[in-house]
Amino acid sequence: MRIRIWSWLFAAIFLGGCIGDDIVDDFVPPAVKIMNTVDTLALGSTWQFDAKYTNNIGKEETLPVQWASSNEDVLAIDGSGLATGLAKGSVTLTTKVEAGGEMLSDQWPVVVGDETVVSSGTQSGKIVSTSSYLLEGNFEISEEGNGIKIFISDGYRASTALPGLYIYLGNNKSSISGNGTKEIQMVQVYSGAHSYQVDGVGLNDFKYILYWCKPFNVKVGEGVVE
Amino acid sequence: MKKAKWALAAMPFLFVCNAAQAGGGWPQPKGWGFFKLSEWWVVSDQHFTDNGEIDPNTTMGIFNTSFYAEYGFTKRLTGVLYFPFFSRAYMNNTISGTTGETLIPGEAINSIGDTDLGIKYGLTVNKPVAVAATLTFGLPFGIDNGGMAGSLQTGDGEFNQMLQIDAGTGFRLGKVDFYSNLYAGVNNRTNGFSDELRFGFEAGATFWKKRITAIARFQGIQSFKNGDLPAERSNSTSIFANNTEYLSFAPEIAYNINEKWGVSASIGTVFYGRIIFASPSYSVGVFYKLTK
Repeated sequence: MRIRIWSWLFAAIFLGGCIGDDIVDDFVPPAVKIMNTVDTLALGSTWQFDAKYTNNIGKEETLPVQWASSNEDVLAIDGSGLATGLAKGSVTLTTKVEAGGEMLSDQWPVVVGDETVVSSGTQSGKIVSTSSYLLEGNFEISEEGNGIKIFISDGYRASTALPGLYIYLGNNKSSISGNGTKEIQMVQVYSGAHSYQVDGVGLNDFKYILYWCKPFNVKVGEGVVE
Repeated sequence: MKKAKWALAAMPFLFVCNAAQAGGGWPQPKGWGFFKLSEWWVVSDQHFTDNGEIDPNTTMGIFNTSFYAEYGFTKRLTGVLYFPFFSRAYMNNTISGTTGETLIPGEAINSIGDTDLGIKYGLTVNKPVAVAATLTFGLPFGIDNGGMAGSLQTGDGEFNQMLQIDAGTGFRLGKVDFYSNLYAGVNNRTNGFSDELRFGFEAGATFWKKRITAIARFQGIQSFKNGDLPAERSNSTSIFANNTEYLSFAPEIAYNINEKWGVSASIGTVFYGRIIFASPSYSVGVFYKLTK
């Protein structure tokens, strides 16, 4: 009888070792963003704008996009995002996407002038810890080669206590899986200036730099790309 | 996510799995033995960080089914074995709360766990204070980098040697038998792991016609931090991390069914921790005392 009781107890404990589910609150507001921007478009020339829609987990999806110019006499734009400078002046471009019954939009100011000026090729931000682990610094992102270069400045410090700290680019700061987040590499520098070359991505593709402890699937810190 | 400092945490196996009424400064008499079959487990979704705060992590669990034995070869020399013959480590699925999709599938590994083999020598026998020295070899039979991310472990992958000194004394008050034991040991770890100072104190009382033994056990580990940084190791997770430290309290209760058989249960709690799970560990077991 005693053996039977202990057998049941051990069996119950074994069953407790079954894999369960951890639920992550990974909702982000769906958004559309104008990409490939110019600040000034030369009179008489054309420019191809793009728009990117990201869904409620920050994953890029292709949906029909509408384009509009606030003044078609100054800058005309067709349904594919191809804009033509017709007269000198300033306009606001608007792109819209209908997603889940909701109309999302983004706007971008454009000047039609003497020569085309592509929007600034540099973004920056501050790295902050979102955990109890040390992580701090500043970064700049610029286009370089076939992608972007992330330069992390001298004041950067990161904890060496984590077994597997990785850096990512993403549009969802609560999750790094299933949403198009790009893993850059395992962190190997824990203080001081350093950089990462990330090929195949654009300057405006991601909203966040994310630091994650991969073995434990724990977010360590983030930097908002601004 | 910062929580109360008095958190509950897992502890390495050996100390929890050691049975009531065994070990300490008392070697087994010649031909006597103590054997225990037990289940030890911890499931944790949080851990102590390197600065003692508590941070969340994906839920991970470790279950050890083990056999523990002490046997007296002579009146001074006792062999000690801790053999986790079935060890299971797992990690939960990570599910999107928005889409319901599985973002990171859970995983599990099953294997033999890291095993301890030791020899205890009684420096004093039949004296008011029992003093014994124990040399323990930690044999890396477990898996140290299982799963996709290498974070599932049933062992630390290193061969360690620990020299420990125990000093214990016992006395009777009325119908209650009391004992206390103090120990300290140095654990020499290999393969880049930091060496450790291990220490502890326990006191126990046997009462109710010798049926019940209650034990209060305080234990600690202080890392010498002379090994690799955790960041330099991919296999430094869960309860097998490098530079782990803790101070713990682990009460245990044992019920002696008769003179030979008994059952016990314990819980491991930690009030100071560094780089270790921050959830309670539990152990239940059935033990047998071989006497003449």
